[in-house]
Amino acid sequence: MRIKKTLAGAALATLALTSLAACGSDSDSDGDNSGDAPKAADIRVWLNGTDTPQEARDWLKTTFEEQNPGSTLTIEEQEWDGLVERLTTALSSDSETPDVVEIGNTQAPTFTSAGAFSPLTDELEALGGDDLLQGFVDGATVDGETYAVPYYAGSKYIFYRKDLLEKAGLEVPTTMDEFVDAAVALKQDNPKPANFSGFWFPGQDWRNGATFIWDAGGDLAVESDGEWSGSLSSAESVAGLERAQQLFVEASGAPKDGNEADPWTPFCAGEVGMMSTPGWVKGLIEDPETGCPDTFAKEIGVFALPGSDGSPAPVLLGGSDIAIAAKSANQELAQKAVALMLSEDYQTILAENGLTPALNSLAPLLGDDEYAQATIAAASNAKLTPAAPGWATVEGSRVLEDLFSALAQGGDPADLAADADEQMNGQLNG
Amino acid sequence: MSRPAARPLRITANVIGVLAFVVAIFPVYWMVNSSFLPRNKIRNPVPTWVPFGGDLDNYRTVFEGDQFLNAMKMSLIVTLCTVLVALVFAFVAAVALSRFRFRGRMSFIVTLLVIQMIPVEGLFISQYKMLEAMDLLNTVIGLTLLYVALVLPFTVWTLRGFVSGVPYELEEAAMMDGCSRMQAFFRVTFPLLAPGLVATGVFGFIQAWNEFTLALVVMTKEDKETLPLWLTTFADVNRGTDWGGIMAGSTLIAVPVIIFFLVVQGRMVGGLTSGAVKG
Amino acid sequence: MSDPVASTSTGAQTGAQTGTQTGTAPRPRRSPLPYALLVPAVAALLLALGYPLVRQVVLSFQDFGLAQQFGKPPEWVGLDNYTSLITDDYLWLVTLRSIVFCLVNAVLTMVIGVGLALLMRHMSRGIRILLQTGLLLAWAMPIVASLTVWQWLFDTNYGVINYLLTQIGFDFEGHSWLLRPLSFFFVATVIIVWMSVPFVAFTVYAALTQVSEELIEAAEIDGAGPAARLRHIIFPTIKPVLMVVGILQVIWDLRVFSQIYILQKAGGSTHDTNLLGTYIYRLGIGTGEFGMAAAVAIFMLVLTVALTSPYLRVMLKQEKEA
Repeated sequence: MRIKKTLAGAALATLALTSLAACGSDSDSDGDNSGDAPKAADIRVWLNGTDTPQEARDWLKTTFEEQNPGSTLTIEEQEWDGLVERLTTALSSDSETPDVVEIGNTQAPTFTSAGAFSPLTDELEALGGDDLLQGFVDGATVDGETYAVPYYAGSKYIFYRKDLLEKAGLEVPTTMDEFVDAAVALKQDNPKPANFSGFWFPGQDWRNGATFIWDAGGDLAVESDGEWSGSLSSAESVAGLERAQQLFVEASGAPKDGNEADPWTPFCAGEVGMMSTPGWVKGLIEDPETGCPDTFAKEIGVFALPGSDGSPAPVLLGGSDIAIAAKSANQELAQKAVALMLSEDYQTILAENGLTPALNSLAPLLGDDEYAQATIAAASNAKLTPAAPGWATVEGSRVLEDLFSALAQGGDPADLAADADEQMNGQLNG
Repeated sequence: MSRPAARPLRITANVIGVLAFVVAIFPVYWMVNSSFLPRNKIRNPVPTWVPFGGDLDNYRTVFEGDQFLNAMKMSLIVTLCTVLVALVFAFVAAVALSRFRFRGRMSFIVTLLVIQMIPVEGLFISQYKMLEAMDLLNTVIGLTLLYVALVLPFTVWTLRGFVSGVPYELEEAAMMDGCSRMQAFFRVTFPLLAPGLVATGVFGFIQAWNEFTLALVVMTKEDKETLPLWLTTFADVNRGTDWGGIMAGSTLIAVPVIIFFLVVQGRMVGGLTSGAVKG
Repeated sequence: MSDPVASTSTGAQTGAQTGTQTGTAPRPRRSPLPYALLVPAVAALLLALGYPLVRQVVLSFQDFGLAQQFGKPPEWVGLDNYTSLITDDYLWLVTLRSIVFCLVNAVLTMVIGVGLALLMRHMSRGIRILLQTGLLLAWAMPIVASLTVWQWLFDTNYGVINYLLTQIGFDFEGHSWLLRPLSFFFVATVIIVWMSVPFVAFTVYAALTQVSEELIEAAEIDGAGPAARLRHIIFPTIKPVLMVVGILQVIWDLRVFSQIYILQKAGGSTHDTNLLGTYIYRLGIGTGEFGMAAAVAIFMLVLTVALTSPYLRVMLKQEKEA
C-alpha cells in the first residue's frame, strides 16, 4: 500500500513538474534551459532482444512524450550477442552514447564499477526503495553508490512429466531429498531411451549446479576483510557438489560435457523426466514449430525446486538491470524515462507477459496458476553470483563449467573443488 | 587435351574430386536443408535428410519487415566499395613491389607482413575512438576504411605473388615487338593476373561480407546494420535461438558471394584473356 | 618520368628454359614511379591502422581497463602486463599446444588445398566444375552457419555422424566427440581445414593457370616425368603464391578463435582445450582488460614472427636475389 502511495505521489510530482515546465517554456519560449526543466531532447533507450513486449514499448514512448512535451523517446533494439562490445564503445562516446540502457544483471557489475553509468542512489527511494528486488540493487552498488536498478527478473523452476511421475508412483517432491530420490527413481523406471534423464543435468550447467551448493549451506566464493576467495572446498559446498554428482551419475542422461541450451529438444524427444529451466521454455514446448504440443507438452507440470528444509531452494537469479549512461547529456530526462520503466503501469505490462517485475509488491500480478506460483516461489529465495570484482574473469575462464563437467564424469568432488578454488583465488580480486 | 598416358591419373583425380566435393558440400547442404525445416525437426534424434514436408516459414520470417533487405543493401555497398578500393590500391602497390627495385622496398614488404601478423581483435576500441574523432561512426565510409585496411596487406601480398609469377621476360619480348612498357604490361602480364585478381577479390569480398565485430561497434543505428549483425537477431538468449531463421538467413547471405564469384570469374578470366589474345 | 625499361634482359632465355627465375627486373634507382604507386595503399593503412597500432603499443604499458575506457586516467605500469603474462605457466602450456595445433592444421590445409589444386588440372571438366562449386559454397557459407552445422553434425545425442556410425554397426550412440582433448582437437581440425581449404585451393589453382603450357609440353617431350615437371616447372612458378598462402595459414591457425570458442561452449574441458586465441581473449578483451589485451597482442606478434621466421628468411632472400 505504502508503495502505491509513493508512486502516486511521484506521479503527481512529475505532473506538477511537467506543468511547471510547460508554463516556464510559455513565459520565455526562447530562453535557454530556464529553471529546473530539462532541455527538450530525444532520449535513446537501448532494450535488448524481444523480451520487452511491444505494448510496454508503446506505453513508454507515448507516456514519456506526453509528460515531456517537446522531447521524444526512441527505443533502439539491441541484441544480447555482442552487447558488451557495443556498450564498451558506445558508452564511452559523447556523441553516440544512448541515454538509458538495459543490461544483463550478471554483466552489470563490470560496468557499474567502471563508471559507465550515472549514480541513481538519490533516486532509489522514489523508484521503489525497499520494494525493488534487493539482490539486483546490491549487485549494482559499489562503495555505497547504486548505479543500476532492476528491470525484470526470471528464475528457473522445475518442469516435469506428470505421466512419468504417475507411472513411477511418485508424488511431487517437497524436499531436496525427495527430489533427488524422485530423479533417480525416474531414471531407473525409464531404461529406454538410454540417454533418458530423471533430472536433465548437462555437465556444464553450473548455474543449476550452484543451487545444490547453496542449499547445502555452501557458497561459490566468500569475502573476508575485503579479500575474496573461492569456497567450493568448504565442507558444506563439497556436500552440495556430492549431491550434484549423484544427480549427474544416477539421474541424468544428458551429455556429461554438454551445455543447457535448447532443453525443449530432449524434452520433446521424450528423454526428460524433470528439468530446471526458465519459464519461457513452456511457450517453446507448446509451439508446433519448436516443440511437441500434441504429445509431451500436454504432460507438463511445474514446481519450484524444494530446498532441504522444504522451502524453495536457492536458485540463481537471472534478469536485467536498467541504467543511465554517464555520458548522456540528458540526465534528467533519462531519469524520467527510468522512472516510467519502473512505474506500476509499465511493470504491470511486464508481469502480464510473464516477466518477474522489478518491484516485489507487483509479483502477484504474474497470476495465480501453477507457473506463476512456481515463478514467485523460485524468485523468493533466489541468489546472485558473488559480487567479487573479478567474477567476470571467473565466468570467462569457465572454471565452473569445467568443475561440474568433471564432476559429471565421476571425478572426486573434494579434489576438484580444491583445484577450482585455487584457480578462482587468482581471479576473484580483479 | 587428355593425353593417353594420363588416363589413370585422370581417374584418380576424378574420384578424389568427387569425394572432396561431397565433404565440402555436406555442411552447406545441411544448412540449406535445415532452412526449410521447423525447429523441432532440425534438432531431433532422427535426422531429417531431405526437407520434404518442410516449408518456407523460415524464409517468411527472414523477409518479415524490411530489415533483411536493408542490411543486404548496406552489406553490398560496404563490401563492394571495400573490394574495389582494396583491389585497385593493392594492384598498383603489387606492381611497384614486383616490377621495380627501389629504396625502402624491402622494408615495405616486411612492414606489410608484420601488419598482417598483428592480431586485430583488440583494435576495435581504438578504431572506434578514431572514427568518433573523424565523425565517421555509422557511416559507410568509416566502416569501408577499416575493412580496406583489414584486407589490404593480404591483397597486396598475394597480388605481388601473382605478378612475380609472370616472367618479366614475357613483357620484354612484347616490348621488343614494339609495345610501350605500359602496353606490354597490360597486354601481356595483366591478363595473366586475372585469376589472381579474382582469387584476392573473392577473398576480400568474403572477409568484408562476414565481418562482425567492427560492424557491431561502428554501425549502431538499425538502418546501418550489415548482414552479420542482422543475423544475430535470431539468437535471442531469453527466447531460444531460432535455428531455422539463422539457416535461412545464412543461405540467403551466401548467395551474393556466389554471384560475385561467377560474375568476376566470367568477366575477368573470360573477357580479359580473350582480349589479350587478340591484342 | 624516365622510361624504366633501359635495362638488359638478364638471362631471358635461360629463365624461360628452366621454368622461371622470375620477378623483378633491374630498374634505375631513382624513379619516383614506384613510390607513387605505393601511396594509396600506404595512405589507407596509415589512416585506418596508424593511430590504433600506436595506441595498442602504448596501452600495453598501461593498466587500462573498462574504468579507463570510461574516463579514469590510465596508470603507467611499465612492463607489468608483460611480466604477468610471461610468468603465467599455463600460458606457456597453451602456447606450446597452439604451436602444435597450428602446424598440424597449416600443413594439413596446405597439403589438401595444394593437392586439390594440382589434381584439378587433371580432372574432367565436369568434375572440376563440380568440385569448384562445392569449394566455393563451403567458402561462402557464413561462419555462424558453418560453426553451428558442424557442431550439430558432431552433437552427442542428435549428431548425424553418431547416427550414421551407429547405423553402420559401430557403437557411437551418445558418444561425446569433445570430451577428450585429442578428440576435441580432431573435431576442431576437421572444421578448420574444411573452412581453409577452399581459399588455398582457389588461390593456388589460380596461380597454376600462370604456368606456361608450352613449357610443360616441352619438358614432356624432353622426357620429364610428372614429378620432374612438378619440381622444375610448376613449383617455381607458383612458389611466391605458395609462400604467401602458407604463411597466412600459419598466422591464422595460430590465433584460431571462433572454432575453439564455440566448441568449448558445446562440450569438453575448457582448461584442457584452450588455445592462445581463446585463452588470451578471456585474459584481455573478454574481461575488459585492454592494457593486458594489448600486451597479449604484441606477444602474439612476436610469437608469429618467430614461428614464421625460417619461412620469412627464405622469402626475403628470394626477394633480394630477384
